[in-house]
Amino acid sequence: MASSTIAASSISFTSLTLNNKGLAKNSVSLSINGKSFPSLRLQAASRRFRVSCAAKPETVDKVCEIVRKQLAIQPDVAVTGDSKFAALGADSLDTVEIVMGLEEEFGISVEEESAQTIATVQDAADLIENLVEKKGSA
Amino acid sequence: MRMQCLDTKFFTSSTSLAPIQLPSRMETHLWYVIPNEVKSEQLLNKYLEFLPKSEKEHVFSLRGDELQKGALLARALVRTTIARYQINQVSPRSLKFRKNIHGKPEVDWQQIEDWHPQQLHFNISHTKSLVACGVSTHNPIGIDIEEKERKIKHSISSFAKRYFSQQEVQLLCSISDPEIQRQEFIKLWTLKEAYVKALGRGFSGSPFQTLTIRSVADSKESFHLSESSSFENSDIVVESLEDSANLTGDWQFALLELVGSHYAAICLRKDCANKCSHPMKMSVWRTIPLVEDEYVSGTDSVIAVGGLM
Repeated sequence: MASSTIAASSISFTSLTLNNKGLAKNSVSLSINGKSFPSLRLQAASRRFRVSCAAKPETVDKVCEIVRKQLAIQPDVAVTGDSKFAALGADSLDTVEIVMGLEEEFGISVEEESAQTIATVQDAADLIENLVEKKGSA
Repeated sequence: MRMQCLDTKFFTSSTSLAPIQLPSRMETHLWYVIPNEVKSEQLLNKYLEFLPKSEKEHVFSLRGDELQKGALLARALVRTTIARYQINQVSPRSLKFRKNIHGKPEVDWQQIEDWHPQQLHFNISHTKSLVACGVSTHNPIGIDIEEKERKIKHSISSFAKRYFSQQEVQLLCSISDPEIQRQEFIKLWTLKEAYVKALGRGFSGSPFQTLTIRSVADSKESFHLSESSSFENSDIVVESLEDSANLTGDWQFALLELVGSHYAAICLRKDCANKCSHPMKMSVWRTIPLVEDEYVSGTDSVIAVGGLM
């Protein structure tokens, strides 16, 4: 019964996190009927639902690397998940090259409409993981 | 002070804002600043004073001195230039800007009392080494500049297939010399960007791929143009796969080389009364706001590539 409860509430939670970019990604908490479940169980079921919609740090790092190279960022300028492409000096051509670089690196294909929504490194990393996952489950 | 009637270089030095005359219909003005020519901290601080808090914050949000300077120069250029066209009825500081529903920046005249200016349209573009502002009256304008030597890391053909029309892809892929192909790609990209910016609808609202832009010279060789007799070789023509009068024939393009280092594309909506193709009449100035202007049309700083008178 416990597992079906998790499944039921996880489905609605998943749809919430994937569609709502406004959710604070690092402060996701999962509680059902007021009880919070130990992280052990959540990890075991992680293939069925996503607790956290933030991309893996490795993905964010990879994106940072690609962005650094494309924009020839000075070593003393920090590039993190929060970094906005525009603030780093990316123009439209740079943005396209970055997207193409990410497609090559991760073996995905990014549609124009999705590419337009990417404003930060984190946005790109999240989109990538989304696409990689869709590709994996296809 | 009227400066466009002179054939020779004309300098004017002034610490205040010398007024300038608006372009006539179907004429465009292009102003550019070379960041390397602006070294004085004092001058940059003066420019900063023209910016409202929100714009200052935006400038400082950019990562790196070079980027910040470029953004500051862009705002200073647009504010001082527009103020000068109003013959100093408004100050650069008091100008208010807003975005249209698609996000294209425009002047918000309602914020200034007792002032009913002529319709003025502008568009800014900048690279690391150049900041430019195009101005027109009555007709929306879009400009885009790119460094000629800009290296493209991905294959030109993959870029082209993604963003350009079939005919453009064909043309680009038929160029065997990679250097020439790269240059033609950049020219085409700037033209398309200028169009997107003139439309003011943003990337996704613009028919990038169904619109073909090319020079008549190319067209005469490979494609049949029904009205080819009325075009000059240097004209830039636009064709659309969609049969929409809204998009084609309404937009005029010009392409030029600026200071030997940049391609600049200008896109202007044509007057309703003036549908036939004319080369664009353009005046270009190199400027350092508050310091000097130099009229450079007809000099080596401005070399027409296509579409210009």
